[in-house]
Amino acid sequence: MNTVAKKLVIVCCAAALVEMFAVSRALAELPDFGGVWIPDVKDQKRQETANVPPWKPDILPQIQHMVAEEKAGRPFLVLSHCLPHGMPSWMLITHNAFELLTTPGRITMLGEVDGNRMRRIYMDGRPHPEDPDLTLHGHSIGHWDGETLVIDTIAIAPQAYIAISEAVGIPNNGDMHILERLHLAKPDVLYDDLEITAPKVLDAAWKTTRIFRRYPERHYEITEGECAQEDLTPGKDQFGNDIFVPNPQGPHGTVHTVK
Amino acid sequence: MSPKIVVVAVSLVLGFGGIAAAHHSNAAYDLDHPQTMEGTVKTVNWTNPHITFVIEKKDVKSGEPPSTWVFEVSSPGVLTRSGWTKRSLQPGDHAVFRYAPLRDGSPGGFLQKVTLPSGQELTYTLMPGEQ
Repeated sequence: MNTVAKKLVIVCCAAALVEMFAVSRALAELPDFGGVWIPDVKDQKRQETANVPPWKPDILPQIQHMVAEEKAGRPFLVLSHCLPHGMPSWMLITHNAFELLTTPGRITMLGEVDGNRMRRIYMDGRPHPEDPDLTLHGHSIGHWDGETLVIDTIAIAPQAYIAISEAVGIPNNGDMHILERLHLAKPDVLYDDLEITAPKVLDAAWKTTRIFRRYPERHYEITEGECAQEDLTPGKDQFGNDIFVPNPQGPHGTVHTVK
Repeated sequence: MSPKIVVVAVSLVLGFGGIAAAHHSNAAYDLDHPQTMEGTVKTVNWTNPHITFVIEKKDVKSGEPPSTWVFEVSSPGVLTRSGWTKRSLQPGDHAVFRYAPLRDGSPGGFLQKVTLPSGQELTYTLMPGEQ
């Protein structure tokens, strides 16, 4: 390698190091949201009655029926499938942990229980797409407002529930918009202030705060999970390969409740 | 026939009714009247979204015929964070099970606590710090 090439390599390496340093310093200056967060399920329960969404009058009877059915021991099954909870239900009613990763230009939330529970929040300044495909988690863009992470989410599938419990919820039926402001109330307590606008089912924007806690001293990790596993059990194929087969236990291998 | 249909058909035959419920409310269980039973673990289904344990109950003294019970419990993530592993309860293990019974009277419930013959208790919580 000639001298000019060597100098060029050195300059490039130095530039890359400076860039890495600048990025890591920028990330370090922001509040640390990274780690495994566990929902405050007691507060979720409290809000089932203390902070009821402003359901439209034609929706309210459906809700009242579901509340009565749950009280009678016949819960409506909001999650009677192995799809992800979707938005905003993931933030509202999950009983499981999620892991938040911060990388340059993006924040990623990885869920537990169903393998495709994931939110990608683009922090690189891009706008929402003009004609997005609708998904259960929607399209999220975010930015920092001081020490608060602001997330704007649209393009959510109409089938995604607005659920206040695992037994009470209504599909948003389309055109939902979710604005979230996430901030640390304490070093290990995350507040997600949600403002949910769903003109097909809500009379007005619904505001609720959901609380998540992390326990760094416990070194928690989220566990791999696929909801469909519940109907499967380890077995062998005709060649002796290890595969999953339908669970022969019948009712003993899966969960059954009377709908 | 899909696995789901097989499961539903079997469940209907055995009187469990309904559909494979995935992740769901536990309103089908009577949480206000927990009960205990003693039995032997037959199967461990360490799966998401919910774990189930199949328990064989055989009480020679009472003369009751042996019965098979199904106890549902939270998810692998929740139990792992509560100190369990998938080997905490294994087929053949004998234990006392505290559970919220199914409201429809089927032999099963929502598992709350396991007491092993050694006296060791297996419990869990959705919110750390409350166990």
